[in-house]
Amino acid sequence: MPIIIPFSPLPGLEKSGILVPMIPVTFSNGIKDFNTFALVDSGAERGLISTVIADSLGIIWEKLPKQTGFTAAGQFTFRIFKDLHISVYNHEFLMDMNIVDGINAFRCILGRKDLFRREKISFECYKNQFQIEFRKYN
Amino acid sequence: MKQAKINFIDLLKPYSKGWVAISEDFKRVLFYEKTLKSLMNKSIKSKQKVYYYPSGDNHSNFVGCHANNYSI
Repeated sequence: MPIIIPFSPLPGLEKSGILVPMIPVTFSNGIKDFNTFALVDSGAERGLISTVIADSLGIIWEKLPKQTGFTAAGQFTFRIFKDLHISVYNHEFLMDMNIVDGINAFRCILGRKDLFRREKISFECYKNQFQIEFRKYN
Repeated sequence: MKQAKINFIDLLKPYSKGWVAISEDFKRVLFYEKTLKSLMNKSIKSKQKVYYYPSGDNHSNFVGCHANNYSI
């Protein structure tokens, strides 16, 4: 059965009427857990978290190999942390997470390679909501 | 199964720049601190499940937003 999630209003977007698809997530690196909220972004190839969130998980991200990524807005520097454990609505999986420095602390995004490859996600913008249907694995 | 809307505007409105710990049902802010580290220390002591989120920030640049017409 799909989970229906209403879009959320965010501070700074009050006058715009824009609502955004956000979900509660729990990240774990096996030692520490961190519960927060992630933007569900169909335009993102892979998810990302800020270095603030990585620090809270006890990830020594500075020692991971540095890479350069590209967006419409320009370049950014990131590191890949392998096999980060994620829980979304009690569904658990591992993903390779980009850790991006120089972005706002609240930046936490789940994209196509992590969330969308595992679940069926339907955006119903005319209802200001989206649905997640978790795939069943043997 | 429909989830309740998480209204970050209402939740974060009373708080200045810092971090908040939001309750498991996403309806209340349980703790507020200036830094995430001190907030996590306080939350861990309470033994309640909370969700961490920054307060006092403008989140408009979280989404692709054009200044003129606010379309995503």
